[in-house]
Amino acid sequence: MSAIPGNKGGAAAPHVELRRVTKRYGVVTAINDLTLTVEKGSFTALLGPSGCGKSTLLRMIAGLERISAGQCFLDGVDVTDVAPAKRRIAMVFQSYALYPHMTTRQNIAFSLSLAGASRKEQDERTHEVARILQLEDYLDRRPAELSGGQRQRVAIGRALVRHPEVFLFDEPLSNLDAKLRVQMRLELAKLHATLHATMIYVTHDQTEAMTLADKIVVLDRGRVAQVGSPLELYNRPANKFVAAFIGSPSMNFLPVGLTAVEGGIATVALPGGRTARVRVGGAPAKAVATAELGVRPEHLSLVVADDANAALRGEVAIVEHLGNLTLLYVDTPAGQVIVEGPGNVSVRSGDTVGLSLREANARLFGADGASL
Amino acid sequence: MTDAALVSDAPPPAARPLVRLRQLDLFGAVVTLATLAGAVVWAFPLYWGLVTTFKPETEIVQPGVHLWPQNFTFENYAHVLMQTKIGLWYVNSLVTSGAVTVIVVVMAAAAGYAISQLEFPGRRVFWAMILASFMVPIPALIVNHFVLMSQFGWINTLQGVVAPQLIAPVTVIIYKQFFDSVPKDFREAAVMDGANDFQLLFRIYLPMNWGITTALAIITFIGAWNLFLWPFLAVSSEEKLNVAVGITQVHDAFGVQYGRDLAVAMLAALPVAIVYLIFQRRVTQAIMLSAGIKG
Repeated sequence: MSAIPGNKGGAAAPHVELRRVTKRYGVVTAINDLTLTVEKGSFTALLGPSGCGKSTLLRMIAGLERISAGQCFLDGVDVTDVAPAKRRIAMVFQSYALYPHMTTRQNIAFSLSLAGASRKEQDERTHEVARILQLEDYLDRRPAELSGGQRQRVAIGRALVRHPEVFLFDEPLSNLDAKLRVQMRLELAKLHATLHATMIYVTHDQTEAMTLADKIVVLDRGRVAQVGSPLELYNRPANKFVAAFIGSPSMNFLPVGLTAVEGGIATVALPGGRTARVRVGGAPAKAVATAELGVRPEHLSLVVADDANAALRGEVAIVEHLGNLTLLYVDTPAGQVIVEGPGNVSVRSGDTVGLSLREANARLFGADGASL
Repeated sequence: MTDAALVSDAPPPAARPLVRLRQLDLFGAVVTLATLAGAVVWAFPLYWGLVTTFKPETEIVQPGVHLWPQNFTFENYAHVLMQTKIGLWYVNSLVTSGAVTVIVVVMAAAAGYAISQLEFPGRRVFWAMILASFMVPIPALIVNHFVLMSQFGWINTLQGVVAPQLIAPVTVIIYKQFFDSVPKDFREAAVMDGANDFQLLFRIYLPMNWGITTALAIITFIGAWNLFLWPFLAVSSEEKLNVAVGITQVHDAFGVQYGRDLAVAMLAALPVAIVYLIFQRRVTQAIMLSAGIKG
């Protein structure tokens, strides 16, 4: 491992910095005036739905996409107009992009061969990478003779052999089956723990982002919707978009009337006549008359229909038994809500149930979608 | 299951498919015989030509059909090999065809790559010119070629034979289409690895399209080997002839001698036949591609 540079001890220093970058394709603006800092040694995930600009952002960092306006810095050096190969950045593509006519050994050593490294150096570094990624037995095979997981490892090896300062991953696990994806996720986490290199990872899969990243950047239509740790995004989403995007099943949103705000606690009137008390940020909430209450499915509990604690009542439309838990789709005066119950729930479709909500975990969003 | 079901009178399930199989076999046999007859009709002239080369001239002109030589002889081959410059013509053909093949493939690949992958001013104009040049039949340009080559002082030289054959728009079009279909991830991965455009072409794009490169090289070689009209016009000295034109010299020099004429024709066709037999699949692929383009 010694030959591969790590960044131990450089935890909070900015490594990759995008300053007010914009990317336009004709009249379409893919990235709009975006500023982002990625710390040295961090694992940052760019998360968002298809078309939000996350891959474009990654490609701009890589240098594969010209920046229309703004600057990109690497270790404090402006690399906006620097060629991709000179940025000391390596990228793992969604399709792996392994050269089909080359063996694993040739694929891994390709960048070294282009750089004019001696045969001895190529061999040494290829073997070092192959050892780290457990590819030693497959060095003479071509990509077509490798499994999906092995191809993925070769793609990572090709990045690793260059001793890059920053690794970029563009949805690298999306072509793998569910089981292999979990396995490769663990391997990527281990690799990051071993190398301590800066990694930027694009995904639309929130599970990947939540499990791998120590910082997630949620993107929405070319803008940063929120930056934070996985739990921060989950527990304290800055807006309705993040609240809805993070978490599966998605958060429930109930239209509510704001009746009072006092001491950072808002009292809201729920459809059906009950009230709930929700923590809010304070002053801004006072000016709002109507809002949406965001409640995650696991923060709603089933109670009997006439229970005094029931914030809502409704009829169970669908019951999904997942073994360890049960998802119930309940039609309420506030619309259909999803409730996560224990695995042994005996409720059936058509039953009338009460729903109590854990107020401490509920979030209130204004008409503009911002968290109150 | 009831007893009735067990003792059903219905025919066994295999009976009907068997009948169909027999019908198919019969149909297959008829088709096979028809194609075999076609093959015999097609191959007979080749066989007849080959057999004739092993007959003495007196036997050739005798009336009657003799499917096998009565007096087997190599005299025709011996005469052609000893009394003509066919060895030199072979070398000339190899040199000119080899040069045409290498230059056309490299040039067309580079042009196809540039038009497919690079952004530069006038790219569309270049592409339009290549498509337009494709619409002009080469024989229509032969006078222009002759004038140009004579101005270069290249008439009666091997480079004069080669140069006009380097116009190969079809090859450029085929390469462009194949390079267009290479996923851009490969290019970007190589760019990230530090490859420049020459390395991209020669280390990624060409090897990834090795099959079509082989096919195009073979068909270009065969075309150049068999080319008659241009070398016939451009070359006057016997030392600079290629095999295809050289055949006519045998006829002109010795009059109608069927055995010798056919022997030299066989020798001329031999390399192409060997190339075809070895690379049959690639040649077929290339012909289909060119035909598809020519549409």
